[in-house]
Amino acid sequence: MEKLKKAGRFLSSMQFAMILLFILVAACVLGSLITQGKTYEWYAAAYSERTAGAILALHLDDVFHSLWFVLLTAFLCLNLLLCNIVRLPSILRQWRESGTPETILSAGSSVQAKMKDAPDAAFARMGFRRVKEGSAEGRRCLYSVKNKAGLFGAWVCHLGVLLLILGFGLGQVLKTEYAVFGVPGQTKEIGDTGYLLTIDDFRIDERSDGSVSQYTADLTVQNADGSRKLSGSASVNSPASMFGMKFYQNSTGWAAAVHVKKDGKALQDEVVCAGDFLAAADKPELVIYLNAFYPDYVLENGTPTTKSREVRNPAYLYSVYYRGQMIGMNALLGDEELTIDEYTVTFSDPETYTLIQIKRDPLTPLALIGGLVTLLGLILALYVQPGRMWAVQEEDGTWTVWGYSRKGGAIFAERFREVTKGEPERE
Amino acid sequence: MNKEGFLAVENTLFTVTMLLYFASMVLFFIFIAVHHSEKDSRDEGKSGRIAWYVLFAGFVLHTAALILRGIGAGRLPMTNQYEFATSFAWGLSLVSLIFIRKYRFDVLGAFAAPVIFLVIGYAAMQSKDVHELMPALRSNWLGFHVSTAIISYGSFGVSFAIALIFLLRGRLAAGSFLDAHIPSREKLDAISYRAVSLGLLFLTFCIITGSIWAERAWGSYWSWDPKETWSLITWLIYALYLHQRLRKGWKGRSAAIFAVIGFICVLFTYIGVNTLLPGIHSYA
Repeated sequence: MEKLKKAGRFLSSMQFAMILLFILVAACVLGSLITQGKTYEWYAAAYSERTAGAILALHLDDVFHSLWFVLLTAFLCLNLLLCNIVRLPSILRQWRESGTPETILSAGSSVQAKMKDAPDAAFARMGFRRVKEGSAEGRRCLYSVKNKAGLFGAWVCHLGVLLLILGFGLGQVLKTEYAVFGVPGQTKEIGDTGYLLTIDDFRIDERSDGSVSQYTADLTVQNADGSRKLSGSASVNSPASMFGMKFYQNSTGWAAAVHVKKDGKALQDEVVCAGDFLAAADKPELVIYLNAFYPDYVLENGTPTTKSREVRNPAYLYSVYYRGQMIGMNALLGDEELTIDEYTVTFSDPETYTLIQIKRDPLTPLALIGGLVTLLGLILALYVQPGRMWAVQEEDGTWTVWGYSRKGGAIFAERFREVTKGEPERE
Repeated sequence: MNKEGFLAVENTLFTVTMLLYFASMVLFFIFIAVHHSEKDSRDEGKSGRIAWYVLFAGFVLHTAALILRGIGAGRLPMTNQYEFATSFAWGLSLVSLIFIRKYRFDVLGAFAAPVIFLVIGYAAMQSKDVHELMPALRSNWLGFHVSTAIISYGSFGVSFAIALIFLLRGRLAAGSFLDAHIPSREKLDAISYRAVSLGLLFLTFCIITGSIWAERAWGSYWSWDPKETWSLITWLIYALYLHQRLRKGWKGRSAAIFAVIGFICVLFTYIGVNTLLPGIHSYA
């Protein structure tokens, strides 16, 4: 039992918190300095084979999703929770007791002074507005406390961080995320949600210098049987919300119509986005992959590129795969044809497509609340500093004045001395 | 006046601001050099006060330059390396002026002014071209996010200067200069704590507003982007600073060392991450 208590004390201690914070700092440094999500070969080429092995063994290739990082964060949550549970009774006791003359007069002080006159003005100048009067051992005394809410600062801050970590951590597990790309007029399924997304329109607003000022997609979402339909616009910095999901205008690119003929007869006409593929309708093992589209094609130092966004000299960079093996790669200019055995492929009607990112994270509000509670806690902890001041009238009529502020430190003490000496205001 | 005109005046004001910051740095050095060699404390601190006023004049012109930059660019001047660097120097200057005045602490100027001059010098080396904003940066959250970062970084810069004074204080010979112009170790520790408190509060504001903005722009309020990660590292370092001050015997020197490490993290978050670890904040 004693061992259990000892373990509990350690888990709730500030010493443990500091150890965890140090490790967390080290983990974040490693996670930012080591490029994340690469292969053994990549790390071996960048560092050495031994280092690459160590990186993978310690999961330093994906620090922020590794089990040890999750455990570290879980221990931090445990520490915050236990610390708050252990500290709450003592904070409540301080809150209740800090207003009674007995506890104030028996408390330790950080500064003390003698005053000839009644110290009412000194109380006011130190920020103690509500001064109470009482008696101690037959002598008249004045006492006041201020900023009692500050006692809860660290506690509230810990609570905020705890909520923030829980909101973020659980959100990672519970959130669902999909991506749909297409051109205006296309309707696609949103993953396994049962909802259908139609891209009604997609606009790129340009300034006079040709730079893009905004991307906007007009969207309609309907449930599987089409009984409910909602519409909205998603632009950068302004997502659309429909059916509990958020729709983000993520990125854009080029798409083109792909026409496939077999022995001179039309077989397929479909719109394919750059980065997407089309399998032959009657021969799915034959795949055309549209690598990229260049609206104003030019070769610079052997590298294909575009001179502008205007469709002046269109070129389609494609690859052909047969049973998973790439059998060819080239660029088609304008109306040029690609012939593969009995198949003929042409591209036409290039247009911009939009990539819509769809997210549902029910715990984002919890993380936001956590962040705001952390902020409130910091304001209370750092700027609402509890203090107390009290004075006792001596038999000769003079006053002995005491002050205490744990966080005020030397600045509180200096101010107290100035005020009790009757020095003028300097600010 | 057209936009080019505003930017041309801004350019002139920026140069004058740099010169004034340099002059204030030299005057603060002279203040220390002259009065440190004095045997008695006859000085009324006039030269220190003159240095403060020169720094203040620089700050006023700097403010005007930023306003003109905003008018000339047609937006808040906080979106590229030059604009953030000059705003960072402005934040440092603002917090330094307040702390020097509030705590009657002219020596702080001799340590803060070089930091201000270095940061504005870094700004001078950046391209001053005005570019239109990419869609992701066209958000009302930009102003909240970057302005809180400026005050936060400025406060941490001042805590760094105070920490240096704390660490060097022991090396100074006891005498009238030390007594008259440099606060006690306890008070230095308390002033540094105030600067860190201000910085941490605004850094928290900055991270929260950035997260809200990121959620609206990219659909993810936290992506472990290098800038985000290093902001978190900086936050954790200062959280450690606050915790270790509560431990017996850990105030003072070790707190000062933490304040120095914290500001190194701030500089890495700002300059190092942008140049060495590109991510979604690469434009900043």
